[in-house]
Amino acid sequence: MIAEKYSIKELMAVSCAREIKNGERVFIGIGLPMMSALIAQNTHAKDSVFVYEGGGVGGLSRRVPWSIADNPTAENALMIHEMWRLFSDTQAGFIDRGVIGGAQIDKYGNLNTTVIFGKSGNYKNPKIRLPGSGGANDIGSSTGETTIIMQLEKGKFVEKIDYITTPGHLTGGVARQRTKLVGKGPSSLICQKGIFRFHPQTKEMYLDVLFPGSTVDEIKALIDWDIKIAENLKEAEPPLKIHIDIMKKYDPRGIMLGAKSNEEEDFDEFFETMRQAYKEVVLDF
Amino acid sequence: MRSRKDKQTSLREAVKTYLPNGSSISFGGLGARDPFAALYEIIKQGVKDLTLMTTSIMDIGNILIGAGCVSKVEGAYVWIGSVGSGLNYRRAVEQGVPVKVETEEYSNYSASLRFLAASMNIPFMATKSLIGSDIPKYNDKIKLVNDPFTNEPVALVSAASPDVVFIHVQKADTAGNGQIWGILMNDPTLARAAKKVVLTCEEIVSTREIRKLPNLTAIPSYCVDAVVKVPFCSHPMWTAGYYWCDLPFRRNFMLYNKTQEGFEKWLKEWVMDVKDWDTFLAKLGKDRLEKLVQMERDNYNIPAFVYEGGAKR
Repeated sequence: MIAEKYSIKELMAVSCAREIKNGERVFIGIGLPMMSALIAQNTHAKDSVFVYEGGGVGGLSRRVPWSIADNPTAENALMIHEMWRLFSDTQAGFIDRGVIGGAQIDKYGNLNTTVIFGKSGNYKNPKIRLPGSGGANDIGSSTGETTIIMQLEKGKFVEKIDYITTPGHLTGGVARQRTKLVGKGPSSLICQKGIFRFHPQTKEMYLDVLFPGSTVDEIKALIDWDIKIAENLKEAEPPLKIHIDIMKKYDPRGIMLGAKSNEEEDFDEFFETMRQAYKEVVLDF
Repeated sequence: MRSRKDKQTSLREAVKTYLPNGSSISFGGLGARDPFAALYEIIKQGVKDLTLMTTSIMDIGNILIGAGCVSKVEGAYVWIGSVGSGLNYRRAVEQGVPVKVETEEYSNYSASLRFLAASMNIPFMATKSLIGSDIPKYNDKIKLVNDPFTNEPVALVSAASPDVVFIHVQKADTAGNGQIWGILMNDPTLARAAKKVVLTCEEIVSTREIRKLPNLTAIPSYCVDAVVKVPFCSHPMWTAGYYWCDLPFRRNFMLYNKTQEGFEKWLKEWVMDVKDWDTFLAKLGKDRLEKLVQMERDNYNIPAFVYEGGAKR
């Protein structure tokens, strides 16, 4: 059953979940990908195994994780590694897909999550310091293929990024193949306005799916290079009701979907919401 | 060789003994088993000019930087996860507030391999990460070379041996055999890589108790220099099987943390003006702590590893 009402952020999370195929072993990065993992795990990808940088493999939890080593990534897990071991398994080719976020990207899917130089800045004295790679470089280097999820805003989809944190298809074509990186690089990108994919030969990003409320012209205006559009540009497949229910169930305070608190949060109220939410999750394993 | 005797001490003593100004430092855990009590003690003692060696770090790294204790980060990620931005890190790198922080960039895997190399007492490790990225371009301690056997490209990272690491575990005996349940991060490796290891634990148990489940012993006593019993050490994060996370505490921190003045106000209230850890826990309140314990108890227990074969057939 199709959801009657949904937000664009929810559509992003569901679209990202749909990139995950049943049976894949998936490395989940921080942020919205964690929501997508839960959606996939509880609907179409029940045979998939989700792994997190803190070392958890195949965890089953009563809420969405808030970070990559948060307890829900390890609760009821199949096993728990050290971080270096899990990344070694990734480098050895055991993980089929990675799902990561980004801040700045170019047409070949190279990602920056380290620094924005600004007009007169440089690496040592940047205008904006970002978190850094975390595991993104390793996931982007060595998982079979990667799905990127990020916001499309002016200045984020640029001709030349300030710093390549995570290699995409580098200069396009066979450039990545030449480096002998283990994984094949990005295959899809989900933003709030649609889904982009990468051309099989040139490796250049193109718009494949348009989300409701967005237009091609608007997207073109936000992207610094002349973005290519698929000949058969598709409409978004709407989320199902079950997808929305899963998000509400595992994230009852809407934290992953962007609810930022501007007032002191009351512990007892928070605690009670989470306690009720935990009761409603039946772990089926 | 480190002794097998009782290594129990206080956090105050451990920080004073092992962490002079200018040390390099690491922390165990991440989002679980983070040693917050140790962090607050370091800040109170005003330790300066630390080099933070890390893979990813969240609140602990940001608070330590905001308090002006750090002059360099060798690591992969400093932020507050999904809870918010790493504003202390941003202020320090972008504006030098309160202290300029220099950065030496890695990825999580390559930063992990530095600790692994140190734990094996070898000078470097090789990886297929980093290639094609700008990480080696701005970090001359990473070498891009061709493998002498196959001539394929690899990146080399040097061993990293922090002067001190603080690791929190569920159970330990007084000699420092530490047992962990839940996420490991690189903690077993970090303990072996570091020059000094300060182990905090929720409970001190007998060595007899440790022997019952030796597979859970992640930190061997021969790595450990000091053992400190600190219940609720990871608040506001979790310790699996013991207590749940206190997210409102972290979200409220974020409200203060928007400016350096706000951060310092928070620091005064929750760290500088709080006499010791017991006072901190009393300030949180018994009711709040009991709820966190109950929530974890209802959610997830550490099972005993018992043979059920015959009876269950």
